[in-house]
Amino acid sequence: MSPSELASRIAGAVGSDRFSSDNGTAKVHIAADRWVDAHRTLSAEMPYFSWLSAIDWATEVVVGDAPESEDIEPRYEVLSCLGNVENGESVVLSTAISKDDPSLDSLADVYGGADWHEREAAEMFGIDFVGHPNLTGIYLPDSFEGHPLRKSFALLSREVKPWPGTVDVEPMPDEEGPSTENPEDAG
Amino acid sequence: MSGILDNFWSLLALKILFITGVMMTVSLVIIFAELKISAHMQSRVGPYFAGGRYGWAQPLADGLKFIQKEDLVPADADRPVFKFAPMVVLAGTLAVFVIVPFSPDLVVRNLDLGVFYALAAGSIGTVGVLMAGWSSANKYSLMGGLRAAAQLIAYELPLVLAVVGVVIQAGTMSMVGIVEAQAAPVFHLGDTAISLPYIFQGQFVGFIIFMIAALAELNRTPFDMPIAESELVMGYLTEYSGIRFTMFFLGEYAGIFAMSAIASTLFLGGYYFPGLDSGTFGPLVLMGKVGLLVFLIIWVRWTLPRLREDQLQSFAWKWLIPLALVNIAVTATFKVVF
Amino acid sequence: MTTADRQTLSMHHSEVQVSVELQTPDMTLNLGPQHPSTHGVLRLVAQVDGEVIKELEPVVGYMHRGYEKLAEVRTYPQITALVNRIDWVSGFANEIPFMVATERLMGIEVPERAQYIRLILTEMARISNHLVFLSSLPLELGAATPLMHALRERERVLDLIEGATGGRFHPNFNRIGGVKPAAGAGSTQKKVVQDLPQGFLEQTKSAMEYVRDVCADMVNLVLGNEIFMQRTKGVGIIPADKALAFGVSGPNLRASGVPFDLRKTDDYLPYSNFDFDVVTGSNGDCFDRYAVRLEEVVQASRIVDQAVEEIPAGDLQAKVPRIIKVPKGEIYVRAENPKGEMGYYIVSEGGRGPYRLKIRTASFSNLSVLSWLLKGQLVPDLIAILGSLDFVLGDVDR
Repeated sequence: MSPSELASRIAGAVGSDRFSSDNGTAKVHIAADRWVDAHRTLSAEMPYFSWLSAIDWATEVVVGDAPESEDIEPRYEVLSCLGNVENGESVVLSTAISKDDPSLDSLADVYGGADWHEREAAEMFGIDFVGHPNLTGIYLPDSFEGHPLRKSFALLSREVKPWPGTVDVEPMPDEEGPSTENPEDAG
Repeated sequence: MSGILDNFWSLLALKILFITGVMMTVSLVIIFAELKISAHMQSRVGPYFAGGRYGWAQPLADGLKFIQKEDLVPADADRPVFKFAPMVVLAGTLAVFVIVPFSPDLVVRNLDLGVFYALAAGSIGTVGVLMAGWSSANKYSLMGGLRAAAQLIAYELPLVLAVVGVVIQAGTMSMVGIVEAQAAPVFHLGDTAISLPYIFQGQFVGFIIFMIAALAELNRTPFDMPIAESELVMGYLTEYSGIRFTMFFLGEYAGIFAMSAIASTLFLGGYYFPGLDSGTFGPLVLMGKVGLLVFLIIWVRWTLPRLREDQLQSFAWKWLIPLALVNIAVTATFKVVF
Repeated sequence: MTTADRQTLSMHHSEVQVSVELQTPDMTLNLGPQHPSTHGVLRLVAQVDGEVIKELEPVVGYMHRGYEKLAEVRTYPQITALVNRIDWVSGFANEIPFMVATERLMGIEVPERAQYIRLILTEMARISNHLVFLSSLPLELGAATPLMHALRERERVLDLIEGATGGRFHPNFNRIGGVKPAAGAGSTQKKVVQDLPQGFLEQTKSAMEYVRDVCADMVNLVLGNEIFMQRTKGVGIIPADKALAFGVSGPNLRASGVPFDLRKTDDYLPYSNFDFDVVTGSNGDCFDRYAVRLEEVVQASRIVDQAVEEIPAGDLQAKVPRIIKVPKGEIYVRAENPKGEMGYYIVSEGGRGPYRLKIRTASFSNLSVLSWLLKGQLVPDLIAILGSLDFVLGDVDR
């Protein structure tokens, strides 16, 4: 079925009314307190656990381009992607948790694969997954301080040299042009 | 000259030199053979630079490299045991050379209990392997040493039992005696007397069992769990470097020669070839047969993966030993009846 | 090698007391991070009782390069150069889902010729990856010869990839909107549209013949080998439901009996024009994983043969603006990489680089099943199982 049909069907199954299928990706929003129940409901039909991660929505970023949207509500958006192996459908489930006290129930009982993905999200964003059997770091050394994927975490190399913008643009085949460009002119 | 040969001690010294010389040369040759044969089986060239186009000086170069290495003994190691272990292994292998008959006269000592002695001396190496694994103060070495000991003990039995069949058929345990028994004609085709080596005289199964058990005694793939490189780095050899490692290494290849020599004597007819005079051509004939078996051993190593420890043990205890016992029973029956 | 753990080697100090029950404490075996068998810097901390593994914990992160944070400060074309280093054995295939995701967000239509070229090179990357796997598993089990034969044929495939793209492992050949259309470097040379090298298609056909020959050799040399079968049959069985729950994908999942292949279900490349089988195993043990990948090489060579026959003429890259700015939106695109499912979730806020790039790698999920899988297995089986999962640490750690 098409992504929009899939999104509305899944949304109906978990009792949510916010869903979208932009760009061919079915995405359903779930309230944070219904996160585990929704996954449990879907686990029969979507047994394939693809990944789990998070997005740090912030209006101010230390590195990179500032976001275009003007009305970003600061939050952590936790995403999980489930799939069906019979017909190849895949759906992205998302929920929002606050930045002041980021915690969410763990999916480790429902899907075994959530274990490592939640460890990574906890390490990178500082999200506490309640009920996770072993929420230790997975990638970073034990002495590492901070949560790297937060927008407030500065990349050390960018402290030394600020974000250079676009350089070394490759011109199109029938165009001739300088191979480097002044970042200001890039617009 | 004959004075030297009369004096017991100088003769003894000569014999020891002879064995050591033969062992070193043979080891180097087999090492080179393995490098080249394995290379051609894998569509490579093998040693190429040392000693010119054919790389024949490669083992020598390797030997020289090992000799000039630093003598490392791990801090926690049991020093006397650590240093003594390679010598035990080497001594065990060397001792087997004593009874290998290159020709009716060219044998260091033609013991009446030749075969018995060979098998007994060959199993001294087990103790050396255990010593090496234990004294290295390294978990991997310990595991390797224990695996090796278990494997060697398990495969002693098929080795011995396979040989019993030959002994029954020959009626003697002396190596020269066994070759002469194979040289004796079996049947006559017109005027010519046809004599067959024991492999064709009914000891084919015994030969197979012997070769398999010999591979296990030598720690060669498919039985090289103890030194499984990809699993335990080098097993009980992990902490050995330099000359000590060379001793193990040479000992392994000398063991290949020793086992092949015993096998060719017991099953393939040794230095005897119908039509050739054993006295003059004996060594060449024996070397040819040994070469054949060495090629077989090398071939098997580069073709097969290795058996897991428990599979190895069950193969020995559940298959080889019963088969060997059946072989003895059949041989004895045939010997008595016919 | 590391020296022994003092705490557990109590036998060393002659404290053995002969009693009715012999106390043999568990040994903590630490494999890695430097070890000949682990495919990279993977550390396995195992509690071992004799030869049986009681518990095992993989420690990863030795190769963590921070791709996702890095992507936030790079432009989309710059990220192209980065992503083929995630799974370096199948370099070209890593770029594809990212390219497709960006192109879909921008609404760009990729010309057909470019799509066919991408497909051919992806399947070649698959062949190259699987040939490495097919040679390394027997090597770890003790058979050294398949390595030489498989890698010899792999060289042919890598030479072809190098001829077309300029790089064996990190081709960096994809551009947003197609594949690289121009050759020549520097601003003084007039950029000429250069297509695939002369003779590329014929040489590809002959290379595929050689690849199929070596696969036939492998069937005899490895699959038919009694000892190999004994070492791998029934070892490391991953049941299908566990595999799905852990996110195991690719040949590992198919070996467990699930006929799920993203080349058939998703349309990120024109696979629907070609005729190939989805190779499935039955038991999910190491033997099946090996056999599935062996057959997949043959199927991939079939696809390449068909693609080489039918490749249309045309442009190599669609018209894209000079500065790539992707409109606001979110998308998840996944592809059937040689190791499994690789996906990119791009959150774009209209900038020159993504606001958030989530990279879903196959080996991360494939490896997460390890601590469940290895409970109760033997230490030599550990090696066989690790070798059969076909992961690479760059893929696990990103």
